[in-house]
This record gives sequence, structure tokens and C-alpha cells, in this order.
Amino acid sequence: MLSLASRSLPAGSALASASRNGTVQSVQVRGYAAPKGPAKIQKQGFVNKGKKKKFIQTVDPNKMKRIPAFKPLTANQLKSEIFHEDVKTELQLPVFRPDALTESNALAKVMEFPTQSNLINRFGVPKNLNIEYRILSKSCAVVRDITLTALDKLDAASASSSKDNRVVLTGSSGCGKSVVLLQAAEYCAGRGWIVMYVPRVHHTVDSSTAYIYDSRTRTYLQPRFSWQVLRRFLDVNTTLLQDLKTTKEFPVERKAPVQAGSPLTDLINVGLQDGSLAPSVLSSLMTELSRQKTYPVLLALDNFQALYTRTTRYRDPKFEAIKPYHLSVPRLFLEYASGKKTFARGAVVGALSEGRADFVTPLELCEALGLPFPRPAGPYVRRVPEIVDYSQGLQKLAVPEKLSIDEAASLFDVWNTDKALHSLPDDDLFMSKYSEASGNARAFVWKGLLATLTS
Amino acid sequence: MVHILGKVLPDSHLARHALTNFYGIGRYTAHRLCARMQIHDRCRVRELTPAQILNLTAFLSSPTSAPSAPKHPLASPSFIAPGPGKAPAAAPKPRIVEKDAAAQAQASTKRGDPLKTLKIETELKKEIRENIMHQRMIGSYVGRRHALSLPVRGQNTQTNAKTARKLNRLGRYN
Repeated sequence: MLSLASRSLPAGSALASASRNGTVQSVQVRGYAAPKGPAKIQKQGFVNKGKKKKFIQTVDPNKMKRIPAFKPLTANQLKSEIFHEDVKTELQLPVFRPDALTESNALAKVMEFPTQSNLINRFGVPKNLNIEYRILSKSCAVVRDITLTALDKLDAASASSSKDNRVVLTGSSGCGKSVVLLQAAEYCAGRGWIVMYVPRVHHTVDSSTAYIYDSRTRTYLQPRFSWQVLRRFLDVNTTLLQDLKTTKEFPVERKAPVQAGSPLTDLINVGLQDGSLAPSVLSSLMTELSRQKTYPVLLALDNFQALYTRTTRYRDPKFEAIKPYHLSVPRLFLEYASGKKTFARGAVVGALSEGRADFVTPLELCEALGLPFPRPAGPYVRRVPEIVDYSQGLQKLAVPEKLSIDEAASLFDVWNTDKALHSLPDDDLFMSKYSEASGNARAFVWKGLLATLTS
Repeated sequence: MVHILGKVLPDSHLARHALTNFYGIGRYTAHRLCARMQIHDRCRVRELTPAQILNLTAFLSSPTSAPSAPKHPLASPSFIAPGPGKAPAAAPKPRIVEKDAAAQAQASTKRGDPLKTLKIETELKKEIRENIMHQRMIGSYVGRRHALSLPVRGQNTQTNAKTARKLNRLGRYN
């Protein structure tokens, strides 16, 4: 019979004594240590300490609030003269619109992402970019040569099946893969594509979202993640989805089937109303999107290599690690990335994340993309056949390691205008930081410009 | 606040960590318990569904009589599931692999499922008490040291041994 009260002490061992505060404390005499009581709250105010009075100001530890994430103050909040030097001037940047993206107009220029597309707001961005966009006054990115190359590829892909347009952005840590992917997603959204952008795909495999076994699909469904994807996807692509109609009847568990000819938004709303149906609705939605030819579809996945991990952090009831293709959402993404399922018009673009230690790019993916693998991997090292199968046909698009001088100069100007630099913004500072970073974009901004007090 | 078998699990705690509040459940057993109940690593106690709480309570009230972990057939990459609302396809028959004697001997030495023989709270304390009483009854060195409230495992007594003097006794873990 288990003890009913967690704080009850062993029989014959409790000695209650009143403390100075008047609270009753239980003193443990023998047996195992008494459980820790609630944290003592000291009163605020003056307390006699001998002949002197001491002011005690303590915070109730039970009520300590978490410090919220840093957000810079707006110009409106900094009107006092003290902040005169820190008054922010709004960044005036050209908008990242498809018609403005020509080589003469846009190359090496920083352009801000349009707010109309709602893409960043609703889908979010990878963690590094999130921090950067909190500090910058506008979400923006420099348009590089590789950006224009990627956008040209997407233009060519808009007419063909996604089986021929499965691209993976590769390059060293901090060279700008996530930014190019974000630019590709924004471009496609501006061009009238249907965009599904998943900035943190590793959340599907790192045991941070609920999972439940389904005997029909023989996979572990992820209802909450599927619900989030549906919610965000609907918010960003509402107008286009209202145009599209289902071509066949979609049966739904425990509910009336979604009739043929109804708008796709109805299908999505079925999944949003009942979270447990979200995985099957997401799968049906992708099937429908892959059939239609009205709008091209972009599936953009950041942290792409996490899908190809040998085992995820999830465990089955027998405590064996679950493979990524046995989870509903990674399996769906892997099927489209491998060409087993295709969009009639569209592309699948992934961006690797090389700086992560938790999900490193696996051997099978490195071999498929022609990337060097850091450890010796001769013919006697086992390659998992399923992962080799899922990585067939992926094309590599290498992001250059270095920013060009013009691109770096544009970034420098933007950070300078946003009053992020502590030192004099002269050529010396620019060239020294560029050289120290060896042209690497993240190192140039974070370790160069933002972390420097002198040149 | 979730109450399981009299223990209060704070809402903001990770479920996997909160389960270690039970006497007899450490980090590894808690991990295995979460895997058995399909509770993900980052699940907070407030996110536990009523079904999961019920299953946890049912399991922990008598771990030895709980059914063993279910075998879930998993989809190969080429498996195509029947549509929603349709009955699942017949599960494949498990392959019977004949292990040779050496492999079987090796398998039996591996750490089995700790949840099969899990004891918590009063049952575990009773078992430990009985072990100490048994040592005393057979007149062993271990039993004598418990009776004298001295260190049992060969620690120094010239110095230190304060914890042993405080905690070691025949009626320990009451």
C-alpha cells in the first residue's frame, strides 16, 4: 500500500517545533531525509538586526518569473533625450519581390522580406535567424549570386514534376544555406506557388513532440506537429487553397467524408478541428497537392539531414529506437524528398545544417550528394539500405563558402544603419572583420561585427 | 497538478523527470516507463493526456501484473497503408529466428526489461527491510553491522561513518 501523502514522515520520527516565523517545521530524527518543504518567503521591509535595522528585499522564490526573450525597444519608446544617440532610424530597404530580382537590380543588395506573404510570421525561421531578426529592425537578407541561381532553378522547376527537382543546399557551417532557403520560399510565395516551409525539421525526430502508434499506417503518428503544419500552411496559402478543389472523396475516421469538389480549405479544417485526425488529413492534403497542376508546390525543409538519421530519439514501448521512416511526418517528407511521391509541378528543396552536433549529416546522404565524410568510411562500413534508398536522386546546390566583398559590404551597411556597430564604421574595420571571418557570413556578422569593440 | 498514487507531480516539470519522484524509479526506469506509455522526452506533466495518466497509474499500482509491452508491426518503406476508415492490413507473421546456444546465453546476460520486475514505494522498502532482516537472521557480518549502526561495506570507522551511524539500522526504510 503506497503512502497517501508525499510529505508524511515515518511514524515516530516527527518532532514539530515552531520556528521564529511562526511556521511549523518538521525536524527529521531518523530515517531518510525529509522532503524539502516550500521555499521560505521572507517579508520585505525593515528587520531589527541587533541595534541596527536592516532592509530585506527578497523575491518570493515560488513566484520568480522567467525572464522573457530579449526584444529591442521601438523608436517610440526611446523619445527621451537620454536616448537621443540611440534613436533608431528605420531601415529603408528594397522589398524582396520577384519582379525586382534581376542581376542588375538586386545582386549584392540587402532586401527586406515582404510582410504580406506572412511566411516568416506563420512558419517561423530557424533559431539562428530568429535571433538575428529580433535584433535587426527588419527581416532582410542579402541577395547573392547563389540566390539568383536557386531562383532560376525554381523558375525552371515550376513547369516540371518535383521528381526532377529535388535539391539540397550544401556548404560549411554559417555560409548561408538557411538564408538561401528562406529566400527561395519567399520568392515562390511571391510567384504564386503553394509553399510549405518547415524551418526546424529536427523537431520531428528529436522526441520533442507527441507520438502515438497507428495500426492502420503501421507508423507512429505525430498529431501535434501535423496540426501545427496544417495550421501554418493554411494561414499562408489560404487564397490559393480556396481555389483548389478535391478531386475525389476523402474518407475521414469517425466523421463524414470530405466530398469531391469541396475546397481544400475544408479538408484542412477537418484536421484542425480534431487534432487526432491531423496526420491523416496532412497525408491526404499532400496527395491532393501532388495531383493538381494549377499551382506549383514548394516543400522547403531546413535542417534536412535530421530526416536521414539512422535512429531518432523516439523509443518504442520495447525501448528500441524508432527509425525516421516509421514516424508519420518524417516519412512523408522523406517520400517527397526521395521521389517516391511527387508533385505534378513543383520542387523539394532542403538545406543542411552543418553546425549541429545532435544530427550530423549521415554517411548515406554524404555519398548521395558527393560530400566529404569526416570519418573513414570504406566498403566495410555499413550503409543502411533504407536511407540509401531515400537519398537517391538528390541534387546538390553548393552555397559558396565566402561572401563576395560587395555582399559583405551591403551587410555591413545594414548593421551600421541599425546602430549595431560599437566601433567606427570605416574600411579598416570592414576589411579586418571580413578577413578574420574568411568571408564566412555568420562569422562575419556575429563574431566580427557584433562582437567587436575595436577594429 | 497531476496526482498519481498520492504523489503530486508539478505541471511545469518534464514528465520523464517527474516520474523519478517515486521511490524506486530513477532516470533509466523513468525513461523506459515513458517509452512504454509513448510519452515523448520533452513532454511536460501538464501535457499528459488523461489516457496516459490512467495508464501510468494502472501500471505503477502493480507493475508485475501489468501486460508486457505490445509488439507493433512497422511499415517498410514500400508499405502502402489502406485509406482512412478502412481496417488495417493483417499484421505480418513474426519471423522465428533460431538462435544458437551461444547467442541465447549472451541474450540472457543483457539487462532485460526493468519494468517487468519493477518495485516501487512500500513494496521496495519492504523488500529492502526483509533483506536486512535476513542478513541478521543468518548471523552474517552485514547483519551485525546493520544492528550496530556501523558501515557495512568496509568503509573507515576511525573517521567519518557519520551517515552510517545515522541511517544504518535493522528497521531501516520503514
